[in-house]
Amino acid sequence: MKKTIFGLLALALPIMMTSCFKDEPLNAECDIEQVIFHSTEADKVFFNLSDTLQHVLYTDTLVKVNVRYNAPIETVTPEFKLTPGATIECIDGDVKKGKATYVVTSEDGNWHRRYVVSLVPTMVTVADTMKFDFEHYELDPTYHKFYVWHNLLPDGTLGNDWANGNGGFKISMSNAQPDEYPSVPITNGYDGSAVKLTTRDTGPFGVMVNKRIAAGNFFLGSFDVQNALLDAMKATHFGIPFAQKPAKLTGYYKYKPGATYIDLKGNAVAGKTDSGDIYAVFYRNHDAAGNPVTLYGDDVKTNSNIVALASVNPMQVTSEWTYFDIEFNYSKEIDPAVLENRGYSLTIVFSSSIDGAIFQGAVGSELCVDKVRLICTREE
Amino acid sequence: MKRLSIIILSLVMTATAIQAEPLLKSVLGFLKPWRVDVHLGYGIGGTAPIGMPATIRKLNKFSLTPNLMLGLDAHRQFDERWGFMTGIHFENKGMSIDATVKNYHMEITRGGQTLDGQFTGGVTTDVTAWMFTLPLQATFNVSNKVQFKLGPYFSYLTNRSFKGYAYNGYLRVGNPTGEKVELGSKEGERGDYDFSDHLRRFQWGIDLGVDWHVTKRFGAFADLSWGLSGIHQSDFHTVEQTLFPIYGTVGVSYRIR
Repeated sequence: MKKTIFGLLALALPIMMTSCFKDEPLNAECDIEQVIFHSTEADKVFFNLSDTLQHVLYTDTLVKVNVRYNAPIETVTPEFKLTPGATIECIDGDVKKGKATYVVTSEDGNWHRRYVVSLVPTMVTVADTMKFDFEHYELDPTYHKFYVWHNLLPDGTLGNDWANGNGGFKISMSNAQPDEYPSVPITNGYDGSAVKLTTRDTGPFGVMVNKRIAAGNFFLGSFDVQNALLDAMKATHFGIPFAQKPAKLTGYYKYKPGATYIDLKGNAVAGKTDSGDIYAVFYRNHDAAGNPVTLYGDDVKTNSNIVALASVNPMQVTSEWTYFDIEFNYSKEIDPAVLENRGYSLTIVFSSSIDGAIFQGAVGSELCVDKVRLICTREE
Repeated sequence: MKRLSIIILSLVMTATAIQAEPLLKSVLGFLKPWRVDVHLGYGIGGTAPIGMPATIRKLNKFSLTPNLMLGLDAHRQFDERWGFMTGIHFENKGMSIDATVKNYHMEITRGGQTLDGQFTGGVTTDVTAWMFTLPLQATFNVSNKVQFKLGPYFSYLTNRSFKGYAYNGYLRVGNPTGEKVELGSKEGERGDYDFSDHLRRFQWGIDLGVDWHVTKRFGAFADLSWGLSGIHQSDFHTVEQTLFPIYGTVGVSYRIR
């Protein structure tokens, strides 16, 4: 009697726990993860063959690839790698004509995302001086929670070359107002609007994941929220392809450090004062085997592909707009053929805390930047 | 409530003082037909949703936790078959579980900030719930050694903890089209949570069991207690499903009178 009942009990519990697993639900995600461009004349279309494989960030809905001027884009057929089970439909345009709009639907049919894929014929820029005035900004189109900036392209359209970490901050501080984010615009700049970067407290969720501060950052490249928690150094993708040889970077800044410098554990570090960071890096964006190279938070100043660096050192604490004028120091020769084929990338980086990438700095440190000029030299 | 207890206590004390002896006699008279047993048991079980949602895909690990039960029970026989049992138990209904989930809704609020979304990956949960339990059970003798029992129980938690972390997976913030954030397995890369303060202090449910009186003094027992109140407070929505404690206890008993 006893044995039977004990036996039944012992059996019943695990059965109750496990026998009731239902069939696996269908996937609810609907992302384009990669676009692979096929073309019989890929070398005439793309600057680099590696451009035929585009990894799409989960936050992006625009896949824009710069292709050669007069490229035979009618030869291009896109192939999409989607989240498992999702389906894709072209609802407008045609990639063979340069631009198409797609809708991706999840396996369970409940979720949709809209993407634009475009191939943009690009002429090599001829201007010797590039102007960055930070006049074009808006609230992010998806959530309307934080600011994003656009740069003025040579053809007069707006690009998305400037990135910042606001998207990561949003995850930890969902209730923050747009002006409480680390990277915000101010209207009383040196000349029109300027960028203001502030090191912010990331609140209770920041403590939970041991990332207590978010430095205000602003850079040429892209920010990948996917890695913001697991491998934060890999969240900052530094650099955009750049077909000229940069010589000098100038601009105006103001800087004031926050009151208390804290370490990774949130403890105050006595006697340590925060510093901002302004620098630019020019690097080869492919390795010897032709694989694409991107600089991340952990190697942006040290990667062996770097050919030139420029930095404001030391930065002054100043409440007045202060002019900076820094030269690129070249450690390697430039290959003009590689340069012309967009084989070099450039990043310009501004940060309100120099150790912000490793989540150390002083909350309240503030860096304002305006009227940045990049002066390039012509290769003979 | 407090005032009422004080009044009752003073009434009882006064009565005791005035007629201690007759009262003692009547108390003893009342107690005479009651048998008293000490129970020592060990529980296995879980705190689980009734009807596993499809978003929970797999149980990877279920570890035993110190679910000890110490009880003092009094039993009174009314006729040959039927009787009544009550008592006080001190017990833990804990568990340590590791599951794989897919597109599982989570919502965490901390310091006024909310993080919600759909998580796919591993979830580890550790529950500790030490409590005093009052069982009220009808008993039925199937033989003079074996007795079934059934009835409600009421518990008050003295020590409560509900902690864990989401790991090795990713969160889609807001909904499946939101930002994708990868989570790792180490501290600082995963999502730790602690919902201890949201565990309900008072819980109740149904207890079904059997006692086997092997010798005059020693016996064995098995109980299945099925919680009918969710373990979390009703305004708590972080965990998608209402979780109920369902525990089986086996142990030994010793009759002290």
